[in-house]
Amino acid sequence: MIGVEPGSLVDQPPYASRNDARFLAEMEQLTQHHLAGCPLYQRIWSQWRPGGSVQDLPFLHAGLFKRLLFRTEGLAHERTLESSSTTGSQPSQIVLDKSSSQLQARSALAILKDFVGEKKRPLLILDDGKSLRQKRGSVSARMVAAMSLSPLATALHFLLVDATSPATMKWEEVRSAMTGHDELLVYGFTSMLWLAWAAAEIPQEIRQLLASRRIHFVHSGGWKTMESLQVSPEEFDRRLTQGLAAGSRVVDYYGLVEQVGIIYPLCECKFRHVPVWADVHVRDPLTLESIEGRTGQLQLMNTLAQGAPYHSVLTEDMGVIVPGACPCGRAGKRFELVGRMPKAEVRGCANV
Amino acid sequence: MCSRLHWFSRSQHLSVVALPFNLPELIADWDSLRSAMRRTTPDAFQRDEWAYLMSFLSPEQLMAPYREAFGSPIEAGGRATRLARPLGTVAVWLPNNVSLLGPLTLVLLTLTGNRMLFKTGSRSDDLTSAFLGFALAQLQAGPLRDILESRVTCETFERGDPRQTHMVEEADVRIVFGSDAAAASIHGAANPLKGVGFSFIDRQSQVWLEPQAVSDEVLGNLIRVFAIYGQAGCTSPRRVVLLEGTESQALELRDRILTLWPKVLRVSTQLHVASANTLALQWAAACGWNAAAAPNRQAVVGVGPIGLEAIDSPLFLPISPATVEEAIAQLPSNIQTLGHALVNPSDGRWLEIVATTGIKRFVPIRRMHHFASLWDGEQFWRRCFEEVEFDL
Repeated sequence: MIGVEPGSLVDQPPYASRNDARFLAEMEQLTQHHLAGCPLYQRIWSQWRPGGSVQDLPFLHAGLFKRLLFRTEGLAHERTLESSSTTGSQPSQIVLDKSSSQLQARSALAILKDFVGEKKRPLLILDDGKSLRQKRGSVSARMVAAMSLSPLATALHFLLVDATSPATMKWEEVRSAMTGHDELLVYGFTSMLWLAWAAAEIPQEIRQLLASRRIHFVHSGGWKTMESLQVSPEEFDRRLTQGLAAGSRVVDYYGLVEQVGIIYPLCECKFRHVPVWADVHVRDPLTLESIEGRTGQLQLMNTLAQGAPYHSVLTEDMGVIVPGACPCGRAGKRFELVGRMPKAEVRGCANV
Repeated sequence: MCSRLHWFSRSQHLSVVALPFNLPELIADWDSLRSAMRRTTPDAFQRDEWAYLMSFLSPEQLMAPYREAFGSPIEAGGRATRLARPLGTVAVWLPNNVSLLGPLTLVLLTLTGNRMLFKTGSRSDDLTSAFLGFALAQLQAGPLRDILESRVTCETFERGDPRQTHMVEEADVRIVFGSDAAAASIHGAANPLKGVGFSFIDRQSQVWLEPQAVSDEVLGNLIRVFAIYGQAGCTSPRRVVLLEGTESQALELRDRILTLWPKVLRVSTQLHVASANTLALQWAAACGWNAAAAPNRQAVVGVGPIGLEAIDSPLFLPISPATVEEAIAQLPSNIQTLGHALVNPSDGRWLEIVATTGIKRFVPIRRMHHFASLWDGEQFWRRCFEEVEFDL
């Protein structure tokens, strides 16, 4: 194994051409680190030996993080990151350490800058300020996603009185944020951005003020709710940007709490690009063989996760690697996210 | 109301059952439905479920509850010592994820002459309504059609609906499939002076194997029985205990099951099932199980000590080598069915074990899912009748 500093690839521009050998070396080193420090991981992958290719790297199924708390010893663990779970399901829990958190913040910022630019502007967050103050030692994935944009902010404005209620939108806060600024950054979960902003009755006076502002909307969280509302991505973008200044746009990104720090925004050509410190593979769900040119189960990797073995995760999302160069100009691997795996209800004998 | 008397004999004792229909005609009607069932499988049913339902409707199967309760059918005449007649109204509560037990209960209850009220779940495939609809669409005029049209009510409603109170008040027999809390709530709302209640609540089952009794046929049955509902079925094996076996024998058994799996079940694995099994394989390994997956991730089988808790994954089958004493000590308190493959199942020691434990059913593996008039230790079918002493 060549000597590498974990996470050092994050110093590079996100969508440059990559030194694959260096990426593999970092990933193998991370894997060895977790095997040595995480007993649960060691039990699962005790037979693993470096195989000389990224396809041979071990992975953990994303669902494991809902059931077990992985922690690699020898690091300063700070907080536990919790996903927003749907009713009745367990949230994923990711143990964060100081060193990884710094790398993850740099990673997310570098990716976001590539899509929304570096200029600082007010950041409007469709959440309530109380969400920042969670129980001691834990932090929500929703807030981590919002705060990844904070280095690009001149000030933070929380727009909801109640994080669960789009009807509690504080339009006066929007007015206040616009004072002295022509550009704004707005972040929200996809469904909340639709319900609280795009589909909301915006006060006439605010609407007039917004007409001269250029806004970058950034959203994440998936399309499940929007599908049930029968809203297409095109309609979503159109409703958000109508009546705003030219140059306003919407950035939809895909990310998992189990891959904190790595986000996959949809580019102008509707593809998702892989930064040089990450990788994406597609596996056949039945055989787990690495496949190319057809849809399969997405495996996401990154070189940033040191506090727990979430550096290589098999998701329940389906996707396909798209060959060739992207007209958007970003180099490296790109993929298309096809959607979640279909689910079926378990039928039993009344007792489950 | 009851116009037809049916005579049964057992050990010199004659019983008469008064029913509002002619029983042989009713059974013949159910039998006739099987021809239509062979041609079509409604979408709501899995192929295995439909096949089992068809076999359940055979005349021999349908006469079995009468034989068990009253004896063999005979021509009318003689000195009857007992008269049985339907109690009146039987109400059945079926929760959302209930399996084939709904349609099977419907079939059994039609034989009793009672009026039937079914409350089905609102959030999933409702097999009872699906089967009722199928039967009504296929049946010619006859007693069965009359019963299904006029004496069966099948409704779906949420908690708090006034129909719930009505159902409880109407019922002479309450049969509740569901959680402990649901059963307590329904029976608690009933008039304590009226009716009888049966609760088919949270239960689990196991398989006990003796190494010398293991064959490909036995393992094929185990695979078929487990694969239908996996860990979610109350009659599915949640654990296989290899009696007096060693760990290496258990590992050998695991590998044999995994090799047999695709030969026994020639079906393609759904993607979400494959993914759930990838998760199960890793989860089991993390928890200390020596686990492996069947080809195409059809299932995961693990070997571990009998005290090791199984992971909660639909198609994870744990195998534990243990002595008989250990197996008895580790039986779950809510044990229902014990499926067996034993060298000598008629050995008296098995009877003693069943007598001193909470086991409700002790059956060969292939019969684990077979529903009958005696269920969970309750003669619920027979209790749908009231019986009159008859001394002439």
